[in-house]
Amino acid sequence: MISTFTNTDANSPLAAELAQRMANRKMAKEGRTIIFRIKRCDGPGKPSRWEDFKVPVPKNANVISCLQYIAANPVTAQGQQSTPVVWDSGCLEEVCGACTMVINGKVRQSCSCLIDDYAPGEGDVMTLEPMSKFPVIRDLWVDRERVFHNLKRVKAWVPIDGTYYLGGGPKESPQKQETRYKLSECMSCGCCLEACPQFNLEENKNEWDSAFIGAHAISQARLFNEHETGKQLKDDRLDVLMGPGGVNDCGNAQNCVKVCPKHIPLTESIAAIGRAVTVRAFTRFFKD
Amino acid sequence: MSTPETPAPTSSSPGFMEKNYFLLRRLHSLTGIVPIGVFLIAHLTTNSSLLWGKWGLRSEGADETIISGGVHYFWKEVQWINNQIPHLLLIEIVLWVSIAFHSILGVYYARTGKANTARYAYQSNWRYSLQRITGYIAIFYIFYHVATLRWGWEFLIPGDAKWSADYAASTLAAALRGSNTDFTAMGVVTSLFYFVGITASVYHFANGLWTAAITWGLTVSAPAQRRWGYVCAMVGVGLMGMAWMSLAGALITPPNEMREVEQRLLDKQKVKLPPQPGTIESRAEESLPMTTVSNQGVSSGQ
Amino acid sequence: MAQQRVIVVGGGLAGLAASVRIAEAGTPVDLFSLVPVKRSHSVCAQGGINACNEVARQQGYSEYEHFDETIYGGDFLADQHPVLEMANWAPRIIDLLDRMGVPFNRTNEGNRDLRLFGGSLFKRTHFAGATTGQQLIYALDEQVRRYEAEGKVSKYEFWEFLWPIIEDGKAVGIVAQDLRTMQIRSFRADAVVMATGGNGLVYGKSTQSVICTGAAAARCYQAGVWYGNPEMIQVHPTAIPGADKLRLMSESARGEGGRVWVPRKKGDTRNPKDIPEAERYYFLEERYPAYGNIVPRDIATREIFSVCVNDGLGVDGQNQVYLDLTHLAPDYLTKKLGGILEIYEKFVGADPRFSPMKIFPAVHYSMGGLWTTFTKGSYNPNDALTKHKSGSRAPINFDIGLGMQLGAPNNSMTNIPGIYAFGEVNFAYHGANRLGANALLSCIFDGLFCGVSVVNYIKNEAPSKKPADSVAQSVFDAAVASEQAKVKRLMDAVDPAGNRNVEVNPYAIGKELGDEMTAACTVVRGEARLKQCLGKLTELKDRYSRLKLADAATWTNQSMSYTRAMGDMLLIAEAIAKGALERRESRGAHYREDHTERDDANFMKTTRAVYDPASRTTTVDFVPIDASLIKPTARTYGKKEASAEPAKKPALAGV
Ligand SMILES: Cc1cc2nc3c(=O)[nH]c(=O)nc-3n(C[C@H](O)[C@H](O)[C@H](O)COP(=O)(O)OP(=O)(O)OC[C@H]3O[C@@H](n4cnc5c(N)ncnc54)[C@H](O)[C@@H]3O)c2cc1C
Ligand code: SF4
Ligand code: SF4
Ligand code: FES
Repeated sequence: MISTFTNTDANSPLAAELAQRMANRKMAKEGRTIIFRIKRCDGPGKPSRWEDFKVPVPKNANVISCLQYIAANPVTAQGQQSTPVVWDSGCLEEVCGACTMVINGKVRQSCSCLIDDYAPGEGDVMTLEPMSKFPVIRDLWVDRERVFHNLKRVKAWVPIDGTYYLGGGPKESPQKQETRYKLSECMSCGCCLEACPQFNLEENKNEWDSAFIGAHAISQARLFNEHETGKQLKDDRLDVLMGPGGVNDCGNAQNCVKVCPKHIPLTESIAAIGRAVTVRAFTRFFKD
Repeated sequence: MSTPETPAPTSSSPGFMEKNYFLLRRLHSLTGIVPIGVFLIAHLTTNSSLLWGKWGLRSEGADETIISGGVHYFWKEVQWINNQIPHLLLIEIVLWVSIAFHSILGVYYARTGKANTARYAYQSNWRYSLQRITGYIAIFYIFYHVATLRWGWEFLIPGDAKWSADYAASTLAAALRGSNTDFTAMGVVTSLFYFVGITASVYHFANGLWTAAITWGLTVSAPAQRRWGYVCAMVGVGLMGMAWMSLAGALITPPNEMREVEQRLLDKQKVKLPPQPGTIESRAEESLPMTTVSNQGVSSGQ
Repeated sequence: MAQQRVIVVGGGLAGLAASVRIAEAGTPVDLFSLVPVKRSHSVCAQGGINACNEVARQQGYSEYEHFDETIYGGDFLADQHPVLEMANWAPRIIDLLDRMGVPFNRTNEGNRDLRLFGGSLFKRTHFAGATTGQQLIYALDEQVRRYEAEGKVSKYEFWEFLWPIIEDGKAVGIVAQDLRTMQIRSFRADAVVMATGGNGLVYGKSTQSVICTGAAAARCYQAGVWYGNPEMIQVHPTAIPGADKLRLMSESARGEGGRVWVPRKKGDTRNPKDIPEAERYYFLEERYPAYGNIVPRDIATREIFSVCVNDGLGVDGQNQVYLDLTHLAPDYLTKKLGGILEIYEKFVGADPRFSPMKIFPAVHYSMGGLWTTFTKGSYNPNDALTKHKSGSRAPINFDIGLGMQLGAPNNSMTNIPGIYAFGEVNFAYHGANRLGANALLSCIFDGLFCGVSVVNYIKNEAPSKKPADSVAQSVFDAAVASEQAKVKRLMDAVDPAGNRNVEVNPYAIGKELGDEMTAACTVVRGEARLKQCLGKLTELKDRYSRLKLADAATWTNQSMSYTRAMGDMLLIAEAIAKGALERRESRGAHYREDHTERDDANFMKTTRAVYDPASRTTTVDFVPIDASLIKPTARTYGKKEASAEPAKKPALAGV
């Protein structure tokens, strides 16, 4: 069954991926044991290694429940005593963004990753790796501070006058609300950054302000530019996005929009900001 | 309220690249279309006439073969370009500078990315990676192409061919074959290189056209991007056809046969136009042997 | 003297709202959270946030009615004045969130749209798609980021709160640990706001996030903070069973028209779509004609429980019932409920727009929490009024300060001066049962309204006694040393008797704890089972003291953090079970099969759990509440067999 919520184009590679998963889900064998091949690392600067774990798969199991199993039984497939795998998680319903990792080579949330979809047969292997665009803290846990830093770069907030009672906000058409709501569902998970060929690992914080900001923050800038009060900071945001690491650094590979779990129209945001900075450049040249 | 200047990067004081970041980025995008892209279209139109020129000649070409008609038309085009376009050198310099600018910045920008098509084998991602690869190829190819055929760096050409505007088709063919008659081994290599080079250049342009519309914010919605993608794909297919026609036109006929056609035209021209001192024609007249005017109908000229 | 600081522990809605309010007043805030604040558990909230609004008002609703519903919904266990103030503030909070850019759903004209929610017959719930909590927390997160960029808030993310530092009976700081480097250090502050959320993990699997252990509250509890109504645990009627978590299917599914049913015939295995209307048992609608599917949660849960467990009517013979939306237009559902329906589809693999969902109750929310106090506002009728007639005129308007006195330093302060409890970890507001969409409200209300109290406290009270700055460093060093010792004990894996390497797996204890609590302390409780549960807890405590860590790393040791929290969770579990045992009546979420009636004379009181460090046990007593505004009435929601209480429908239809 093709998801009816995502409006995925039936011919796209994503639809094919989805169809494959649904097919796997149908043929998944009950009571099977599968292998998790996990890329582990004890800390920054330490070497990485792969470890295999055998995990029995109950009904409805997902990657998190399997990692929980490994935490309780940290013994490798070779029978070696190991340690619980470290990973980040929160909501377990794909709304907090914490549990993002690279599964079978692709970035996604591990909580919504059902084993049946990927490893339907006895002895099937699933690989787990940490995201590669952020420094590893330990095992599958990475430091995504830069994602939040980028939100500061584009002043991703509405500059309200304070929390005293001043009446309601501006009226808004349902169409506008739908546009903003869609953008506002972004959970800063970083999938779009992991998959982006233009967004690269940068451990030096001093470089963050000139390295590519990525689809995530570009889209958030658009979100706030669309709000009546948020607009006040529009020029500030655009000026940042015109500069080094801004929207111009996007190479239009459009991986971002394909891996975004929230189906945020990132490439539309990129183009919309592209248009806005074009206009801004002219006004800046002729007016300001 | 708004602060017009970009916030200063934290570390070193902004250099030239940083200060003019936006301008350079957009100039990079723009130069790819104007003048480079526009020139590419014109150039491929002219060169592909080696194959379709017979029909381009209309009634004049009625008696010509596809080959001779193509060479004929192409010869006329080249003559026109070299003789009639004002400030040709200036135009060429602008073009060369644009290409150099686009190339240098392009390489600089391309080096900021890391391809990942192995993991994310989406079509758009392949296009992204190809855009960079074809860019690198195009730089080499165009440099070679211009250096050998325009600037006359003959030492890079297999055989001893030297391009000349009067014998445009035959000298081009000779440069590709490595000799005036048969393909030499180096000639085959050169021809293959041309094939790869023009294919890459055309792809690079067509895909660049598509991304430019996003960069400049012309196509915002996903459907608009898709529609514009179809347009660009059509442009690309058309140009690719012309590019391959150009190459085929230059490869299928031995240079010496082309030269006969060109010679005939030069001779005819000499009769038609009284020589003017100092023009190319007058020089041609000096250096080329006279032949008799054929009894074929005299064309009305351009 | 250095500038006074406030520590906020917890970056959910409550902590963020508090941080904004306190930073705005010019006081620097140190904000601690286990996870980046944007990923706090509040993102999970789906359905919406309640507030009286113009449309409802013109239909006869009012802030007072909201207040009354909340008290009635909570079965008269909450102190009433704070609830009144919260209901009165609700519309202002919505307006503020609106200004912050929360994309509330809109009507055609551009006004905020509303939906129906449990416990009310008026549309009074504001929502942003089906991810309201996410949208609210993002709005507050953005404001905090703004203050962070201005240097007024310092974030300590991936830091775990370990212990409150109390000197001369008042808070002067905390001990916390960086979960990456494992560094333990102290922080000084003149006030500490605990906004650490719920404790669902005590039950193993619940609808809550994996970080909701309740350990932070448990540590304050061990340090002397009282715990109120621990036994009041809300079990949500509709959740999707899963291997790692019970994912919520929001009440909004019913608010938007979802119907709960089972086949009338036992063991009916037909496809639900083939079962004709007449053979379906819409038990909530039949038993509660007025409220139908939107009865409060405790009632819906018990009815589902009884239909499945007592009547054996569960779908496919299992503990599950249908929640059916298929009679509604798919487009409408996508627009209003897309987010939650997608969750169901993602995790179950069926599209709820075309086939009924299978759901069952799950532990969801803790009404109980750290005990807090308040200063009454100016509204004090001589006699408590009878229950407000739905739709009639409110006896009072909704000025600021009628329920609680704005800015009084003790609002939402615990029994330890300087330690505040905001949000879910605060026991106030929801009594014995929380109404849907009231939690988000109480979190933000605490932050905004009581945030002012924190500022006033440090300005006017704390410094005049003994500011944190003047406390000797040794006090802080000692607190750090004590936490380091706890870590060392875990890391050394030595039991008190000194036997090394006794193999006890902390995850096994966690699982047993969850299973035991789910079996004994959820929908139906009884004396014998509770006593058995307390026995089990004692056993687990003993085994806990002998467990062995699975990971000896000194860098990013999650196992250590989890195991440490496990010890604290055992104490919370004990408080829950003790409270449940001592409360010999049935009230709201607390249903005793051996005491099925509500007993106002003895138990319309707060359960106060106090920890005794010497014996390491919980003692429970009952303290009177403030019920001076509304007289308790029977809480039937118009159930058919019971004395039907006439519930008035909205004055105007439509809308
Ligand atoms: C699935 C679900 C749906 C819900 N839907 C609704 C709804 O529609 N409407 C409604 O009104 N309510 C709803 N609720 C209830 C509501 O979401 C919560 O009660 C509310 O979000 C709690 O917010 P909080 O700020 O108190 O705590 P949380 O959001 O839980 O935040 C707790 C914070 O404390 C931090 N923390 C905890 N322990 C420590 C420690 N030891 N050290 C440092 N930091 C710590 C965490 O990192 C986190 O930042 C729902 C709840 C669930 C589970
Ligand atoms: S845009 Fe999508 S992929 Fe990127 S951070 Fe937001 S939710 Fe994640
Ligand atoms: S479209 Fe731009 S932002 Fe998105 S993946 Fe490609 S390069 Fe990255
Ligand atoms: S745990 Fe929150 S997205 Fe997976």
